[in-house]
Amino acid sequence: MSNIIGIVNYGVAGNIHSVKKAIEKAGGETLVINSASDFKSVDKLVIPGVGSFKSSMKELESDGFIDLIKGFHKPILGICLGMQLLAKIGYEHGRTDGLNLIDAEVKPILCDAKIPHMGFQKIQVINSNKLLKDIEKEEFYFMHSYEMINYTNILALTSYGNHSFVCSIQKDNIYGVQFHPEKSRQAGIKLLSNFIQLENN
Amino acid sequence: MEKLYGKYGLPLKVSFCRKCTMNNQRPSSTIEFKQKENENKDTLVFGDDGVCDACKYAEQKKLINWNERSRELEELCNRFRRNDGRYDVVIPGSGGKDSVQAAHILKYKYNMNPILITWPPALYTEIGKRNFDAWLDAGFANYTYNQNKKLHRLLTKNAFLNLGHPFQPFILGQKNLAPRLSVLLDIPLVIFGENEAEYGNAIEDNYKPTRDPKYYSAELSIEDLILGGIPAKDLIDDYGFKLSDLEAYFPVNPYDLEKTGTEVHYLGYYVKWHPQDVYYYSVENSNFMPNDYRTEGSFSKYSSLDDKIDWLHYHTTTIKFGIGRATYDSAQEIRNGDITRDEGIALIKRFDGEFPTQYIGDCCDYMGISLQQYHDAIEKFRSPHLWKKVNGNFELKSPIWKEKN
Amino acid sequence: MNTRIIAKLDVKPPYVVKPVHFEGLRKVGEPAHLAKKYFDQGADELFYIDIVSSLYQRNILSSDIIKTASELFIPFAVGGGVKTVDDFSNLLHMGADKVVINSFAVQNNPNIINIAAEIFGNQAIVVNIEAKKWKKNWECYTDCGRIQSGKDVIEWAKDVQQRGAGEILLQSVDHDGRRRGFDIDLATRVVNSVDIPVVVASGAGSLEDISKLIKVANPSGIALASLLHYDQLTIKDIRNYLRNEGLMT
Repeated sequence: MSNIIGIVNYGVAGNIHSVKKAIEKAGGETLVINSASDFKSVDKLVIPGVGSFKSSMKELESDGFIDLIKGFHKPILGICLGMQLLAKIGYEHGRTDGLNLIDAEVKPILCDAKIPHMGFQKIQVINSNKLLKDIEKEEFYFMHSYEMINYTNILALTSYGNHSFVCSIQKDNIYGVQFHPEKSRQAGIKLLSNFIQLENN
Repeated sequence: MEKLYGKYGLPLKVSFCRKCTMNNQRPSSTIEFKQKENENKDTLVFGDDGVCDACKYAEQKKLINWNERSRELEELCNRFRRNDGRYDVVIPGSGGKDSVQAAHILKYKYNMNPILITWPPALYTEIGKRNFDAWLDAGFANYTYNQNKKLHRLLTKNAFLNLGHPFQPFILGQKNLAPRLSVLLDIPLVIFGENEAEYGNAIEDNYKPTRDPKYYSAELSIEDLILGGIPAKDLIDDYGFKLSDLEAYFPVNPYDLEKTGTEVHYLGYYVKWHPQDVYYYSVENSNFMPNDYRTEGSFSKYSSLDDKIDWLHYHTTTIKFGIGRATYDSAQEIRNGDITRDEGIALIKRFDGEFPTQYIGDCCDYMGISLQQYHDAIEKFRSPHLWKKVNGNFELKSPIWKEKN
Repeated sequence: MNTRIIAKLDVKPPYVVKPVHFEGLRKVGEPAHLAKKYFDQGADELFYIDIVSSLYQRNILSSDIIKTASELFIPFAVGGGVKTVDDFSNLLHMGADKVVINSFAVQNNPNIINIAAEIFGNQAIVVNIEAKKWKKNWECYTDCGRIQSGKDVIEWAKDVQQRGAGEILLQSVDHDGRRRGFDIDLATRVVNSVDIPVVVASGAGSLEDISKLIKVANPSGIALASLLHYDQLTIKDIRNYLRNEGLMT
């Protein structure tokens, strides 16, 4: 049965390469999505993320990917900025509309520790789920200055400074992780493997 | 008949070694105590394959059995080692990386008891002073011959004005002091750091462990000797200096050397001399420090750091031969496999021939000339076949970065 | 959050080298091989700096970077001769997660930091500071720790944060490669002057050097080179020690 993982390639920024490698290491077959027509060839979607909210949404729009992502009913995994783009609004360099698939806003992290939040951290799983199965006690690599503010779709939280923020969400077929599984050693590979093994409907 | 040679008898056509960045204008070592104005120079030898002698020697060095050479050094040390606690080897230098390594190796690896000797720079740099102290801090004593400053200053000034070679007084003493002190202290064994043949002088010089006595000894009379372009006799009769003052610049009497049994060896014969390796050895075994910033005229921080006059020296070689410090440094690093020829060319293009702004003021003050006098004097030495004027500035006619293959 | 233990590769392609005081090109291995070695030892991140790009005035060479990134599942920061937005973009596409910049930003145009941060996000921008100590302050150096800039390190650190840099890699020309300890004073001052993470490098010679740095300066990360390249300690040794000291969980 087909289980091709599409990786959305949206231009200027973007370490697609690491995500691709990690998914393959986890046993997945990948296809880099460069054009609209690629969407129908894949069974799952990964939205990676390095860049800024504003420039990324602009890229997605000019590539014609926004509606295709919104209309994709099989599993989606947003990584870091990719998770943040799922929100309603982002406040990086002004106000930008996101994909509006998750009821959330993306704002600068407010806490007394160093920003960007950069390094390995443990997570606290709030709702058990298939994505984080067997890796609830692991550390994952975070690299971000903005956080997703959401109360309804939380899978896991992380503590940093005197602050707790959302580090994983899920709504129906849509998953997101604030951290980078492709940069989190074996634990990250396992997460990707969990994602790959989700059912496709 | 076509004129093939220009000023100093240098070949008119500039060509570069195929392997390194050195060119055919580079002079070989001169017998300094006889140097006159407008002399023709012997230059670096290039083979028919376009490879210079220094590169050829570098290739041959790879075939040398260094374990064997190490044993030869062991045997040499065995011959001279004293067991009564007295000094048994003279090590000349000033605390640069080569003398730091030499002292350390001879003491700790070959169990000798070195006495360090120094012919000091006319003008110590800050880093030079610090490294000199660090050298002694490592646990060595040192004899420094402080030159008659009035004389040394005069010789430096004259060497610059008459020969465009302000470094001459330093070089004279550097070669002669160690053999001289060997006689004075009755310590026959002298070991220098590298060998200048490494830099492309007569390649035959590299196959012997000992320095050719012609560089430091001569049976000469006062009449034969010229310092800074001025005959020694005039320095005594007209300038009022005494023989005793001048002796330090003279070669040593060969009879005295024979009586003491002086042998001048160079470490570069026994230990594979790779300047960067020497740098690492120094920083790993002592408090040696590189320069606080890039050395003007080059890209590196670890070579020839202690004498302000050295900065002027490389400026004069640039004017006379079109060869600056970056060229010398890069050629040597290429031969040792540290950088590639293209990288060397990029560094030469960026840094070679840089005017020595950092110490020009101090050096001119020392010589008692103005900056304008410096510029006027140096023009006498510019080789016309190497330079052209573009928009009022001098540029090399055939720099290496414009080389046609 | 635990202090990150980072392996730093100073590269003169195709070799990793280990200068002392940012001088010398002694080869210590190959980038891809050492990257894998340190990843296996448990490094949190890998920094790869092409130390000669700026000095030789050439573009960063890509084949070693791509090869090095290929088996790495930890963050990978890459720099060396970065000047333009395209340089940032190219490195990110080759597999870098963060791009490191120094010489061009300090000597030519600091605005490149602002521009890059806006396009790529500040977490992707690392400013490398090569600090040289003088009597009263530290000066920023460039081109592999040898060209002066006249810029004060503390002022520059604050400046780059304003411009949007996400992280600082702080190196010391005076302590580099000597394994005699870090410049703790420098580290403390820079960490306390900015609100962005600071990774401190240069001088680690023992476990005690590392614990002292953490206790006194509390940097976000520690970058190691000589200590690892010469196999004096492994990253595992360091983590075990820090856990025993209560400095790591």
